Amino acid sequence: MLVFLSTKVRVMRFNDAVLGTAFLLLAGVMIAITFSFPDFPGQNYGPNLFPRIIGGGIVGCSLLLMLREWRSGGRPILILADWARRPARLASFALMLASMVFYLVASEPLGFIPTAFLIQLGLFLWFGVCPLTALIVAVVMTAAVQYFFGSVMRVPLPRGILDSVL
Amino acid sequence: MTAIYTAFGMVFDPTVLAVIMGSALFGMFVGAMPGLTATMATALLVPVTFFMAPVPALGAIVTATAMAIFAGDIPAAMLRMPGTPASAAYADESYEMTKKGQLDLAMGVNLVFSVLGGIFGVAILILLAPVLAEVAINFSSFEYFWLACLGLTCAVFIGTGDPLKGLLSLFIGLAFACVGIDPAAGQPRFTFGNIDLLSGINFIPTLIGMFAVSELLRGAVTMEKGGRSVPQAIGSLMTGVGAVFKKYWFNFLRGSMIGTVIGALPGAGADIASWVSYAVSKKTSKEPEKFGTGHIEGIVDATSANNSALGAAWIPALVFGIPGDSITAIVIGVLYMKGMNPGPTVFLQTPELIYAVFIIFIIANLLMFPLGWAAIKSAKQILRVPRNILLPVILIFCIVGSFAMTNSLYGVILMVAMGVFGWFLEEHGVPVAPLILGLVLGEMLEQNFMSSMIKADGSLFGFLSRPIAGTLGVATMGLWAFMAWRGVTSRPAPAMDQPSGA
Repeated sequence: MLVFLSTKVRVMRFNDAVLGTAFLLLAGVMIAITFSFPDFPGQNYGPNLFPRIIGGGIVGCSLLLMLREWRSGGRPILILADWARRPARLASFALMLASMVFYLVASEPLGFIPTAFLIQLGLFLWFGVCPLTALIVAVVMTAAVQYFFGSVMRVPLPRGILDSVL
Repeated sequence: MTAIYTAFGMVFDPTVLAVIMGSALFGMFVGAMPGLTATMATALLVPVTFFMAPVPALGAIVTATAMAIFAGDIPAAMLRMPGTPASAAYADESYEMTKKGQLDLAMGVNLVFSVLGGIFGVAILILLAPVLAEVAINFSSFEYFWLACLGLTCAVFIGTGDPLKGLLSLFIGLAFACVGIDPAAGQPRFTFGNIDLLSGINFIPTLIGMFAVSELLRGAVTMEKGGRSVPQAIGSLMTGVGAVFKKYWFNFLRGSMIGTVIGALPGAGADIASWVSYAVSKKTSKEPEKFGTGHIEGIVDATSANNSALGAAWIPALVFGIPGDSITAIVIGVLYMKGMNPGPTVFLQTPELIYAVFIIFIIANLLMFPLGWAAIKSAKQILRVPRNILLPVILIFCIVGSFAMTNSLYGVILMVAMGVFGWFLEEHGVPVAPLILGLVLGEMLEQNFMSSMIKADGSLFGFLSRPIAGTLGVATMGLWAFMAWRGVTSRPAPAMDQPSGA
């Protein structure tokens, strides 16, 4: 059985063998990179020693995870929460993530104030806050954060299109 | 003595007191909101404290966490939803009391014993920390290496239902700590030519990602829109508390003791303290059959324990620089940022700072009484703040907080990446608290390991030749052997694991 729907997981879960394989590969890459580090002249123990031990630790854990899964007879490779077929919830999750990506892309050209305002307004409306409340809270919170971090804490929040105004 | 006077002067400064008051209200609110944890409160607070002097910065963290751990009891009793994981152990019990019409008594007991338990933990901290520091001053890199190993191992061992996954998480954190300039030779590692990565994986955006963003991702899919009816505490909160104290004073002492010991153990914090003390209370009770039906006895134990654990967790943090729980892991990160490397030398060089922390702890616990009372009385209003407004606002705070740490998008990128990664790990039953400990302690561990390796010329006996180092080393390796044996013989945990975190 490859994919299984269940009420027991929140969103998704691969079985431990898949998890172990993924971390085994990552640890392999990590150890491989340590071979490119130069030796520390005059010392037997260089900057590559510690990462190799840690990498070895991850390899050990990964192998144990795989062994355990194999011994227990193997669960489905991927378990999805039973609501994974309900598009509204998936969209909520994606939208939360998309808001962060939107900030990464838009904050430099647009500036902090418009970006933060749009993110909050968008999320409020999607999560069913009444439009008037959404608008007021988005304006007030954006102004408060800009004032507290931008003016009081002197964090150089991007000014973007409002550069001439601020 | 002058150091104590200096410390009083530092704390009783209008700005510092205002910061303490502000973070107390913040901690109360975050703790009382189900789904927002004390660790999350700290994570959100750290970017703000970054810009403060050490005393207000520590004051903010101490106060906010103390309030949050108590405030978690409020929705536990009223809605059966623990506000923080530290209240989960007795949420059912408190709620049963509410159903029996004893909400006032449940809240009064929670408040009074939280304050007393907190003060108990602080008293032990004040008595024990300077004594331990005098012992620790003689420690060499060998002792520190083993101490760090032991601390990290305990984190894996106690913090989760599945030690193997905790261990994996710890190694991932230590691997993250390797990114950047290596502490022994100055060689850039795993930077892939990226300038931002040269400074390493910044700890605060990682923290915000792992503890706050991952929580937002989870919260987004469980957003409920309907309102809940919140029962109100209308009567006097103090009626009957005196009688409870008279009857169960031993439970209070025992809960506080257990909380202090578990809090002081590296890796285990308030949430574990409350589970253990509740279980002990039930096991040794004369009326175990009453547990789970709204019986006050176990609550006395557990609510004392989780608050006493908070102060005790600072003992290893201040004396050895090894965190007692995920909150002190954050504190140690903050201390490093402020250029005050925690450890026994702090007690010698800047004792006034240590005293200031003690004073703030006492103030925070005393402040908990009036503020907690106000929070209980206004719980109806606090709990009515809808999550669909709260989550997007928290998202903006996360973004700005991470941005402020690097003054560039690097912090935000790190936060998003770590948020998704942390969410992925917790979906798979891998706890993130050991990872954070690994990230914080990685550099210290590597530094002590490398200098010990060079001193001992690679021989394991060199690591064990000093008496304290030998004892610590044997204890640590014994734990490792036990874990290895368990790891090979154990079965996978069932599909549903609770995410950990205090």
